[in-house]
Amino acid sequence: MATGSQPRASEEPEEEEEEEEEAVTEEEEDCTFLPLVHDIIKCMDKDSQDVYQELNELKSKFQSMRKQINNMAGIELSPEQQQQHLQSLRVQVQTKNELLQKYKSLCMFEIPKD
Amino acid sequence: MAATEKSTKEKLLCVLDDLEVLSRELIELLALSRSQKVSQPGEENQILELLIQKDGEFQELMKVAFSQGKVHQEMQLLEKEVEKRDSDIQQLQKQLKEAEHILATAVYQAKEKLKSIDKARKGSISSEELIKYAHRISASNAVCAPLTWVPGDPRRPYPTDLEMRSGLLGQMSNLPTNGVNGHLPGDALAAGRLPDVLAPQYPWQSNDISMNMLPPNHSNDFLMESLGPNKENEDDVEVMSTDSSSSSSDSD
Repeated sequence: MATGSQPRASEEPEEEEEEEEEAVTEEEEDCTFLPLVHDIIKCMDKDSQDVYQELNELKSKFQSMRKQINNMAGIELSPEQQQQHLQSLRVQVQTKNELLQKYKSLCMFEIPKD
Repeated sequence: MAATEKSTKEKLLCVLDDLEVLSRELIELLALSRSQKVSQPGEENQILELLIQKDGEFQELMKVAFSQGKVHQEMQLLEKEVEKRDSDIQQLQKQLKEAEHILATAVYQAKEKLKSIDKARKGSISSEELIKYAHRISASNAVCAPLTWVPGDPRRPYPTDLEMRSGLLGQMSNLPTNGVNGHLPGDALAAGRLPDVLAPQYPWQSNDISMNMLPPNHSNDFLMESLGPNKENEDDVEVMSTDSSSSSSDSD
């Protein structure tokens, strides 16, 4: 039993990663409007009454996409500006870490010679 | 240049607007062509190509936006870390300030002690000298009478008249160091040179030592209080005053 459970434990992170990747691809696929436009064209070709429903779907998708974009965090900057900001934050953390380390390693009992 | 500085959000909304406009145009065009039975494939294809291009652009921008969201999470973590480090540094600075204050006080006190040590070293007196001085005092019978002392012995158990007058007490009371030739009133009284009015108040047998030790303006009551009731003192004074008389007789 124990030998059987060990590989499972090692597989779990991979499964999680796969799930995340799948979620991301679903989100990315969901960003396209072409399938909906294609469905509308098909309905128009068939003179189907579903065209109005498809048109409403397309409209609601545009609205939901706008809402999603407005709620997304971190896209107020361009990627280059964001990278610069990220870099400066990393530098800040590093500098502060070094400063703390310097403070902690100070020799408190060093007597200055006159 | 301005386009490169445009934020991802603005780009996304812009492309989304384009997509909406293009899809509407395409659908309207198709609907028009279906209703009028007139096809304009060139224009439809052009709009469709544009739509496909914008859709691809939109998807790419959405990928960038998702990656920027992840970077944003990382940045938030870093900002929290920076805040934590700031509070740590402030705490440490506060502690260092307190330590500096304590150390400054300690250094000041230590410097004061060093100053006093230096001062003591500069004015140091060797123990040998102190012992020699103690011997000198005890040898001169300044603190007690010699064991074999008898009336008429020139050795005296107290400082001499001149020594008292040249000392600090004598200087404080402005006792004249000359004129009486180093003699105290007791001696003078014994020699019969003081007025008779003083004689009953300061009989030299009992008060001579007190007169030697105190300034002349001291009250007589104190002398009587401190010396009068004590029999031993009386004996001592008698013995010492006898010595005084002998000294006065010596000086005479």
